[in-house]
Amino acid sequence: MQIPLSEILTLTAVGLLLSTFGVVLRRSFEGWLSAYRYQSIILAGSTAVIAYETGYWEIYAAAILTLVIKAVVIPRLLVSVTESVKDEFKIEANPYVSIRLSLLISALLVALSYGLIHETLVSTSLGVYALTYLPVSLSLFFVGLFVMVSRRMALNQVVGLLIIENGLFLFTTALTQGVSLIIEVGILADILVGVMISALLLLRMSQTFDSFDMASLESLKDD
Amino acid sequence: MLSTLVAGLGAGAAPSGWSTLVLTVLLTPAAALVLVTLTRNRRHAEAITVFSGILVVVQTLGLVSGVISQGQFSAMGGYLYLDAFGALVLIPIAGVGFVAALYSVSYMGRQYERGVVDDGHLVRYYQGFNCFVLTMLLVPLSNNMGLMWVAIEATTLVSVFMIMLYTNQGAMEAAWKYLIVATIGLSLALLGIVLFSYANTSVSPSAAASGSALNWTSMAADSRLLDPGIVKIAFVFVLVGLGTKAGLAPMHTWLPDAHGEAPTPVSALLSGVLLNCAIYGVLRFYIVASGTLGAALPSELMIILGLLSMGIASASIYFQKDMKRMLAFSSVEHMGIVSLAVGFGGFIGFFAALLHIVNHAIAKPLLFFASGAVSQRYETKVMAEIKGVIKTMPVTGALLLVGGLAIAGMPPFNIFLSEFMVLTSGFGGGQFIAGSLMILLLVVIFAGFLRHLVPMVFGSPKGPGVAVPASERPGERGAGLPAILAMGILVVLVVVLGLYVPQPLQTLIREAVQVFGQGAPTI
Repeated sequence: MQIPLSEILTLTAVGLLLSTFGVVLRRSFEGWLSAYRYQSIILAGSTAVIAYETGYWEIYAAAILTLVIKAVVIPRLLVSVTESVKDEFKIEANPYVSIRLSLLISALLVALSYGLIHETLVSTSLGVYALTYLPVSLSLFFVGLFVMVSRRMALNQVVGLLIIENGLFLFTTALTQGVSLIIEVGILADILVGVMISALLLLRMSQTFDSFDMASLESLKDD
Repeated sequence: MLSTLVAGLGAGAAPSGWSTLVLTVLLTPAAALVLVTLTRNRRHAEAITVFSGILVVVQTLGLVSGVISQGQFSAMGGYLYLDAFGALVLIPIAGVGFVAALYSVSYMGRQYERGVVDDGHLVRYYQGFNCFVLTMLLVPLSNNMGLMWVAIEATTLVSVFMIMLYTNQGAMEAAWKYLIVATIGLSLALLGIVLFSYANTSVSPSAAASGSALNWTSMAADSRLLDPGIVKIAFVFVLVGLGTKAGLAPMHTWLPDAHGEAPTPVSALLSGVLLNCAIYGVLRFYIVASGTLGAALPSELMIILGLLSMGIASASIYFQKDMKRMLAFSSVEHMGIVSLAVGFGGFIGFFAALLHIVNHAIAKPLLFFASGAVSQRYETKVMAEIKGVIKTMPVTGALLLVGGLAIAGMPPFNIFLSEFMVLTSGFGGGQFIAGSLMILLLVVIFAGFLRHLVPMVFGSPKGPGVAVPASERPGERGAGLPAILAMGILVVLVVVLGLYVPQPLQTLIREAVQVFGQGAPTI
């Protein structure tokens, strides 16, 4: 049975958006991480669809790298590094913006992304997958940014950063059929090292500070 | 894309002389990194890093002579490229890399004697140092803008790692803020870079087919044809994104923390040359954007960000208490001046911007080095507690004074020369409001610097560290010989470049202004 392309595109787009909302809705580190893992698996699938459509072998390679690094290596790394961290630092008990309001704002950001893409890029000749994925990628970008500024926990900021990176990756792949593979690998390596360094920093901070609460990071300022 | 890769490897097998030199200048710090990792010995690590610094300087001078004689050249199948503009950013990286390595021997050695760091820390420090120099060298040598982005993001990661060397709360807080803010900024920049590349693919199928759509040379060549709607958004993304990393206000919030908390030699690299790398990226895209949109809109944006940076820096400098944070805010000011100069444009504007990039990269490390030696001696960074440096450490005190006066824009030092040229271009181009605001802010900053500098240098010696008798301080001999040598090199340059601009540098800047001419048709 042949499944039409447009349905695969729509399904994956919905999956990506739902997993992003998963990060917004959940309060625990395990919750964010599993949402991120689902998102990365769907992202690898979407990348494979684009690879199939365009026929570039580099994009298949990028899809496999995404699956391995983002869906397996990074979540495991984060779990193993934060094992010794107390549970109360892994729960977003009291975010700056309440979860209910966050959901509303995130929905508005998704609408904004669709509006932006249709305003600016619709005149240019874009493939059908680009038209489906570009608004989704911007949504991921904006919602990730919103998660980073609206949450108190340092771990939540890391997950927000990872969602931004996923959005960027989808944006790049959908718009320009991927920049060359060497550059993709470089970007992935930067992300991986970035996660390692932030995990190391988190571990140090958990030993020095009383919490990962961003409010405790306010000693450096000019008065 | 596969064919470019093969072509790149082919070029690697039978390259021309200059292309080989581009590769070896990158391989030198990489080799130093490997050697430091293998020996794991403090003394060896110092020697290897200083030696690698000398080699990088020699090779860079070779590359510069190549640029002057040949104009430009590329390597690795077009991934790497060097022209006069890139060379102007490359020279300070190599030079400051070398003097910072020299200074590290004294400064980190002193930290070791004081028990702040141990052998393991120092090996990690020199590993990070070489890696940091490597990633910075890659920025002006990249033609592929994706590669440049990877290099700039890598500089963030390495420098965060180096700030984390100290495990106090302040350092960790600064490292975290820097990591998060700079990474968000660079994500925006990547979005912009991809949009530029997309705009280029749509008008140039040949670039798309050969995979060179991300190359700066290809974008600059096509700049007149690109879709203005896309380029407008893309340039704003790049300006905000790389502007964050360049410390332009209002995206500068991470900078005073990171530059203030890093080990002093690293602060000198962060302020003196890493900011140049980021503003260099902004300017590359400024050239493309002003080709597509005309110079008016991009220039206006640069002027606004420039004035905002100078404004925020002036207030923060005037009321500052911490010596290193004051120097950090001064970097925000000087990046603002560069941005303003580019916004003013015209031959003198671009000339002044490029000269100012070089001048700031000489004067700011000098000041960081001197202040680092002072804060080690006085055991504090709080300026109110530091008095009479000229009496307790005569050489360092004199260097601190010269560096401070130079950075505040006092004639006859180098910063004054380029600031004067920026003002000339502003008033010459009819930008009277922006020019007058710049003069006003320069006066406030000058007053702010003198207000802090004069009591620190003169006055009767006082400070927490000074009270301890000399016999009880381990290894107290002023700043240390390698550090004095490092500062000596810089202070000679500060004075010489204040008197005139040497012929080779002038040629280089003239050629780099021609690169700007590709975008702005007014030159």
